[in-house]
Amino acid sequence: MRRIAGHATLAGIAALVATGVALAGLTSHGNAKSPVKVALVLPCPTNDGSWCQQAYVAAKQLEKEGLISLQVTSNAPQDTAGASQVIERYAANGAQLVIADSAWQDAAMAAAAKFPHTPIVYAAGGKVMGNVSTFEEPIYQPAYLAGILASGITKTKVVGGLAAFDIPLCHAQMVAFTKGAQSVDPSIKGVTSYVGDWNDVAKAKNAALALAAQKADVFAVCGGGPASGLISVLQEKNLSGFGYVGNQNSLAPKQMVGSLVYNLYPIFKAIVQDVAAGRYKAKDYNLGLASFKLVLNPKYAVTKIPAATLAKEKQVAAMILAGKLKVPYVTK
Amino acid sequence: MNWSTILGLGLFVSGLQLAMPTALAAVGEAFSERAGVLNLGLEGMMLAGALAAFSADYYSGDAAVGVLAGVGVGLAFGALKAFLSVTLKTEQVINGIVIVIFAQGVTAFAYERMFGSGGTQPEIPTLHALRVPGLASIPWLGPVLFDQNALFYLSLGLVAGVWLLLEKTKLGLQVRAVGESPAAADSVAVHVDRVRFAALLVCGAMAGFAGAVLVIGDINLFGTNVTAGRGWVAIALVIFGRWRPLIVFGGALAFGITDALQLRIQAASGGSNSAVPYEVFQALPYVLTLVVMVVATVAAKRSAQPAALGIPFRKEVIE
Repeated sequence: MRRIAGHATLAGIAALVATGVALAGLTSHGNAKSPVKVALVLPCPTNDGSWCQQAYVAAKQLEKEGLISLQVTSNAPQDTAGASQVIERYAANGAQLVIADSAWQDAAMAAAAKFPHTPIVYAAGGKVMGNVSTFEEPIYQPAYLAGILASGITKTKVVGGLAAFDIPLCHAQMVAFTKGAQSVDPSIKGVTSYVGDWNDVAKAKNAALALAAQKADVFAVCGGGPASGLISVLQEKNLSGFGYVGNQNSLAPKQMVGSLVYNLYPIFKAIVQDVAAGRYKAKDYNLGLASFKLVLNPKYAVTKIPAATLAKEKQVAAMILAGKLKVPYVTK
Repeated sequence: MNWSTILGLGLFVSGLQLAMPTALAAVGEAFSERAGVLNLGLEGMMLAGALAAFSADYYSGDAAVGVLAGVGVGLAFGALKAFLSVTLKTEQVINGIVIVIFAQGVTAFAYERMFGSGGTQPEIPTLHALRVPGLASIPWLGPVLFDQNALFYLSLGLVAGVWLLLEKTKLGLQVRAVGESPAAADSVAVHVDRVRFAALLVCGAMAGFAGAVLVIGDINLFGTNVTAGRGWVAIALVIFGRWRPLIVFGGALAFGITDALQLRIQAASGGSNSAVPYEVFQALPYVLTLVVMVVATVAAKRSAQPAALGIPFRKEVIE
């Protein structure tokens, strides 16, 4: 008797689950315009003025347009085990797309092994397979343009690069910045320094001072902590520099020539549209200069940028966008 | 390589600035370890102190309020650590690490809640340098030591204060006694737990102050994990300085100056174009610390570690 009751309960549960699945299927097919359920996983706070903020703002914009419904986790653990847990939790709770906004290739792959049907995208490039995609951060392209402007600004003929770590992303950016400057004036020298930390503002500040002691007077920067450190040195010494990832022009209105602004909106939109249309597959999303722009600061006042330099920057930007010029991508 | 651009005055100004928060935390840690309590929560205490100092300064517009808030939160964390280690006698290594993880989570969360999403990064004003008339014009020494902001002088005063407290007062004698032989101290009516509790309060306050010096005296903003491991370096520096506050302080300054030196060598050698990998330069302060520690231990022929370090005191009850 007990056994029969047990079977009946099981059958009942099965029937309920089947009905639930069928209903879920009906609603998702019945309303094609329903927003895509997106989970955004960020490694930092949404108000960091840089990396996480840019992603947050882009996703919020898509939410406002009704394209997505959004859930956000900020300050997620950076390590593979921790990050994959957060991704998996969203996948288990029915997210239709998980955007893991860090170099979380391993975490994305680990989560995909358990949830192979959930689209997962991670940042900064790498392997793509199954339902796992990545989106690139082509900061080296606007960095080349920044280098061209730097050639018209530097008085000492030395440009400085300050980066958190010598990772491919930062390395390519620093090299492109120097090469951009040298494309106009080959006598310009580039000096670079690595802080060894993403968050250590105090050390970054002193690294920037050390570069200034080597006569660098125009700077590019890679990393949120390094950017904060650099900005305070730019103001203290009245030197010129470019902001990182977010529009940081207002943080040193007189000294910022411009910012290399990562616009994730077109990238996220492309991914979301692929998911909504059912054509999503593993892919390397790279929109080049269209997603990473050099945004000039109209209040910049350390020196006057020669008109010829400004014209040259515009011309090269157009060439890159048209595919006529390929910015050197040097990672080591 | 042009060495004059590396070894100039800027090196020492830079080095002292880099060193000060670590040095303050290390001196506080030395005090608590001399009482026999290992405080691995230092990094978390600095971080919490930094956020408290930053937000209090930001909202009140007064750096002094910020510093007091930093010290206050440091004290609270010191009390928490003391409650866990001294009152409850839980494992000191584990409760220290728990405090760090707790502080990292809670500061990141609180910072985001307090300052909202998607705005520009909040900043607090820079502290102006206070030139000491006369002394500031001494060549070399002047600009390095006598043209700094108020927190720099206050830091020096506090380090001297902790040293005096430990070496020249009755409480200091009790601290040293409970760190070496708590049973002996207890037998002469020293309240071991109370002294250890007090030592952790001093340590927490110093760590909170160190966080305040970092954000108010130097960088003028807060960010996730802005202390960047300084608390851990400080703990190593206590061993380096053989648990003596002034040597610990000197070691911290040497560490900071070496760190500033490696940054300047990196910059001068061209960074990414350098033939020497930048990691070699970055390791320099740590290598130096290790070498000095080994040499000092070998030369002294004995360990300087307080005998009762890490061991909770349980009074023997005679039945």
